[in-house]
Amino acid sequence: MKNFNQNKPHQAYKLVLATAATIIFIAGCANNPGPIEQMASSRAAVSSARSAGGSEYAPIQLKLAIEKMSGAEIAMTNKDYVLARQLAEQAQVDAQLADAAARSAKAQKAADAIQEDSRVLRQEIDHKAE
Amino acid sequence: MKNHQYFPVTLIALAILSGCNAAPPKNSFLAEAHGSYDSARNNPQVAYLAALELNEAGNSLSKADIALSKGESAATVDHLAYIAKQQIGIAQETTKRKSAELAVANAGAKRDQVRLEASTAEAKTAKQQVVIAQKTVDQQALALADASENAQRDQASLMAMAAEADSAEQQVVLVGKIADQQATELEAFDASTARDQASLKAKTAEIATANQMLANASDKAERDHALIVQQETELKGLNAKATERGLVITLSDVLFGANKAQIGSGGMRSVQKLADFLTQYPKQKVLVEGYTDSVGSNAHNQKLSEQRANAVRAALLDKGIGSERVTTHGYGEEFPVSGNDTAANRQMNRRVEIILSDANGNIIPR
Repeated sequence: MKNFNQNKPHQAYKLVLATAATIIFIAGCANNPGPIEQMASSRAAVSSARSAGGSEYAPIQLKLAIEKMSGAEIAMTNKDYVLARQLAEQAQVDAQLADAAARSAKAQKAADAIQEDSRVLRQEIDHKAE
Repeated sequence: MKNHQYFPVTLIALAILSGCNAAPPKNSFLAEAHGSYDSARNNPQVAYLAALELNEAGNSLSKADIALSKGESAATVDHLAYIAKQQIGIAQETTKRKSAELAVANAGAKRDQVRLEASTAEAKTAKQQVVIAQKTVDQQALALADASENAQRDQASLMAMAAEADSAEQQVVLVGKIADQQATELEAFDASTARDQASLKAKTAEIATANQMLANASDKAERDHALIVQQETELKGLNAKATERGLVITLSDVLFGANKAQIGSGGMRSVQKLADFLTQYPKQKVLVEGYTDSVGSNAHNQKLSEQRANAVRAALLDKGIGSERVTTHGYGEEFPVSGNDTAANRQMNRRVEIILSDANGNIIPR
């Protein structure tokens, strides 16, 4: 995003550079550049959310993230990079939310368990004390 | 007229309304995101625990606002608003997670606290139990001490009783001894009384005997006196003479034949008298001494004097006098009682003297 902002004042210069870079990329990879980094970090986020137990604790968010991620992949394939970026970004925050929700749910579960343990312990002690 | 008066006011109100309507962005997603963001930011827990996430959401919201103000496409603004909304959700979830984690940590601490309390309570209980046990032990020790004291007291009283019993026994023994002693003393007293009575009797008897003896002695004295008188009378009959050697009876020459040793009949009467006297006084002994005159040889005279003394002795023995009571001695012509110058004097020298012993049979020899 910042790049776009900075590019605006020197659009002519940047255009030359972008053209050159595009030529180099086409020559080197024979593929489109697209939001590759964003795609990678989004995939990582989805994977992380999955491994954090998102399918169990935040299934809707995770499902959204996965669907958007596949949409982004399709957009990448279609070389609709703007859509791909948007979908990837949304997939990333969705995945992150799923991740956070799963983690908080697990933490809550642990807290509940510990609270229960505490209660039981207290009860036992009170019973013992009596 | 009235419409003219209110006109400026209406204008002002319209101006305010139009001004208010112009300021806020026309994107429902973004408005929703702002609402969520404000409520999140007003939650101090979120602001504290998820400051980073909230900040990211704020940045995203700013981008959305900028995009809206720049008049970018609704899709772009919606996209950015969605990102912001999701980040607010992340911040909220993070807040929940952290508070839960804090709760876990606190629960751990709390559990430790509870355990500590439990341990403290247990320790207290144990201490109380120890105190109770100690009290029980103390009480038991006290009871034991009491019991021991009682036992000792019992022992002491038992000993005292035993001592009393001993002393009582001793007293009984003592009393028995005293009784024995008294009995012994009584016996002794009885015995001494008996003895005293016996000795009294004996003494009475002695006194009686003594009285008797006294009476006897008195009788005897009287008898002796009579006897002495009689003896004297008898001795007078024998012509006894009291000399320094005792009573001496002299048988004169006429009782013997001249120059002979046979006793004549007159002489025999005198011997008979002497024998009677000696029989009557059996303790009396006699010494028969023969004497001659100076006519004839000394040997002859000696022999004659001995023969005459022996003749008297033989006559006395003949009369039943014990031979041990009669001793003889011949002195010849010694110890003349008168001069040998005349016949009468010589006749006086020819004699037999019978010396009577004292009452105990002692004779003083010449």
